Amino acid sequence: MRGRAGSRLNVDAVALFAAAATLICAAPALAVIGFALAPGEGARFGGPLLTNGALGTLGLTLAGGTGAIVLGAASAWLVSLCRFPGRGAFEWLLVIPLAAPSYVLAYAYSGLTWAGGPIAFPVRGFWGAAFIYAIGLYPYVYLAARAAFASQSACALEAARTLGAKPGALFFRVGLPLARPGLVAGGALALMEIAADYGAAQHFGLTTLSTAIFRAWYAHQSAHGALQIAAVLLIAALLFLVIERRARGRAGFADGGARWRTLPRYSLSPLAAAGAFVFCAGLIVLGAALPLGWLAYIAVEHTYAADITKAFFNSISLAGAGACATLVLAALIAVSARRGGAMGRLSLFAAGMGYAAPGAVLALGAFSMFGLMREFGWIGGVGVSLALVTLIWAYAARFTAAGAQPIDAGLARLSKGLDASARTLGAGPARRLWQVDLPIAAPSLAAALLILFVDILKELPATLIIRPFNFDTLAVIAYQYASDEQLELAAAPSLLIFAAGLAPILLLTRSIARGRAGSR
Amino acid sequence: MSSVTLSKVRRIYDGKPVVNEVSLTAPEAQVLALLGASGSGKSTLLRLIAGLENVDGGEIRLGDEIVSTPRRTLPAEARRVGMVFQDYSLFPHLSAAANVAFGLERLPRAEREAQALSWLDRIGLQARAHAFPHELSGGEQQRVALARALAPTPRAVLLDEPFSGLDPVLREELRQVTMDALAETRTTALFVTHDAEEALLVADRLAILKNGRLLQEAAPRDAYDKPASIDVAAALGPINTAEGRVENGVVATPFGAVSARHLIEGAQVRVAVRAEAVRLAPGRQARVIDVRPHGAHDLVRIEADGVVWRALAPARTVLGERVDVGLQPAGAFAFSAAG
Repeated sequence: MRGRAGSRLNVDAVALFAAAATLICAAPALAVIGFALAPGEGARFGGPLLTNGALGTLGLTLAGGTGAIVLGAASAWLVSLCRFPGRGAFEWLLVIPLAAPSYVLAYAYSGLTWAGGPIAFPVRGFWGAAFIYAIGLYPYVYLAARAAFASQSACALEAARTLGAKPGALFFRVGLPLARPGLVAGGALALMEIAADYGAAQHFGLTTLSTAIFRAWYAHQSAHGALQIAAVLLIAALLFLVIERRARGRAGFADGGARWRTLPRYSLSPLAAAGAFVFCAGLIVLGAALPLGWLAYIAVEHTYAADITKAFFNSISLAGAGACATLVLAALIAVSARRGGAMGRLSLFAAGMGYAAPGAVLALGAFSMFGLMREFGWIGGVGVSLALVTLIWAYAARFTAAGAQPIDAGLARLSKGLDASARTLGAGPARRLWQVDLPIAAPSLAAALLILFVDILKELPATLIIRPFNFDTLAVIAYQYASDEQLELAAAPSLLIFAAGLAPILLLTRSIARGRAGSR
Repeated sequence: MSSVTLSKVRRIYDGKPVVNEVSLTAPEAQVLALLGASGSGKSTLLRLIAGLENVDGGEIRLGDEIVSTPRRTLPAEARRVGMVFQDYSLFPHLSAAANVAFGLERLPRAEREAQALSWLDRIGLQARAHAFPHELSGGEQQRVALARALAPTPRAVLLDEPFSGLDPVLREELRQVTMDALAETRTTALFVTHDAEEALLVADRLAILKNGRLLQEAAPRDAYDKPASIDVAAALGPINTAEGRVENGVVATPFGAVSARHLIEGAQVRVAVRAEAVRLAPGRQARVIDVRPHGAHDLVRIEADGVVWRALAPARTVLGERVDVGLQPAGAFAFSAAG
């Protein structure tokens, strides 16, 4: 409750910057809608590509999403409420498959199971993609369900046990209903990722809304058609976002910082314990160990084959610049959200909209926006620098929400009392910012920077659309080699992306391990 | 040091006054205790004085300077009013010494550090100068918070239930440290508490608040001996109450008469009798129905004609015994029921 006591000028400056950040985040998505509705080439809305893409995306979200939800809910239930060997380790190991983007998993499994690979059961086509999504995205559901099982509602589980409920009955009669908001929220995140995926669907030759955007853009040379498909995909993504937010609100979500209660767990019979172990171990082997191991093996075998140094440095510098730019926006939006009010809600929604929107959609939005500005003569120049600015804008619109979340958690550590203390000790706004707020929020800012860096490094579709000619990143060359059926050359860049992806995941698992009951 | 003066101060949250027309003065270099239950507005009052919130009516003065009016609030950082927060609010990223030095920004570095260390020495924590808040015990944190607030020689210091999280022994010790430091530096202090005993112990002046209103401001002895209302009497210790009519200058209660000469004959009045003013002697009038040890005394419940009162009696009362009851005039008060 700072009230009006703070300097008026200062407050307004922050609000102004927050408004600018909100606009920057929202602009590419708004541009997509605007351009899609603008009168165009006369073809009917989206054409057959739109219909086929929509059917493809619908089918994949149904199949892949169901798989992710079932795997995530079951594994969360096992580690939360049953006792079996390795349970403590599985609790955090189960998150690791999040490290790999879907396209990396797709390339790894293609190498493993297609002609010449060591496994004869081919992962390909529709069901192959559904398998990749289920095994790669179940951790979203796992995290949400585990939070639900471990949170205060766990008391209801204990009550049910004292009333004599058996494990099976407990799961269906109490556990599932309690975890439902969490399952919906986690499931919606998984669906968002499936709808946004381009690399895996393209690799398996499927027509989805994401791949249809590319086909309209490149093969049909129809910018307007691509924008219309993008608009439909954006609306689908927003639907998932709304579902996720509403479910999350109802679940009273406790994320990273929450404490976990240790529940008294069911002892499983030896056979059931073995089954639980095999199930959890299987998820980790299929989602991380096997593809990672294969990529590493192939990459070592083919070190001579391709020079990825340039792509590596391109990736590092682009992700670095993008993460720094996005961090500034994320911090402004987090501060604005903390202040509450209409502006705060608007900022959060704008950032959330970008986060839900697939990279290809935002890329088209940013690209068209810049194209229009150039037509009007507002901006000059061509080529590399303009393309890079456009690309970083698309990244910022896409990932600001991912950065704002840890910053928000950091801001939560700044109690109102600290601000009040500093003020009664004579510290003005600038000194409070530099000597109190920033030092305390620094670890969260660092975490946000890491998450943004890795997210941008992994990003494929927006990079493909906007990158300057001959400017390749790790994701781009992995994609290109895989498209040329040179999977052995795609292994090294894929491996590097996978390894980079592990960093924020380890950060997450550390907070899970630290957050166990009894600690701190 | 400055006195702190509040004139008809109002603060409104969501249309409801949480501080309502409060006028009081904390005299220079004295300790004013603000006593009240939670929700009485006492913590809000401190935040208003610190400049952390704005008044919606009235004004606040530090010495001769007007610092708060509904139109103008001198910001907290420009007031030189120190505050010790209930949760201490130490800066988690700064050592004990750096916390104390935070308010000494204007001094050159060497002097700042020397002063911080001398403050830590004064409160017995020099050995812990480089410890971080999470490495300090609750009592140590409280001392650092006190030193931090006093180090910049504020015009007044505000203490918001500074001992509430501590165990009784530590509480006693820290209260002494705090009072010594305040006396030594001749600091004007406003001290918020909900503990009547503590308020009576530390205060030079005592202000009792209820529902945002000031009930009485007086020296502690006066507030105890001459409460302005039943609420004030109740705020400072256990009491028994009764209602009746003034007849021949007294009010009859089930356990004896209470003087009411200052009230109109025949008026309906309410009576408060402090538990320690209820004297028991072997006899017939009432029956002892409960005896609980209460320090050197026993807290005794007595019953007559279905009415139960409490008495603080020397520890020799026997359960079930019949007693005669005498009411000491110094602890028995009659108030007009209308007021």
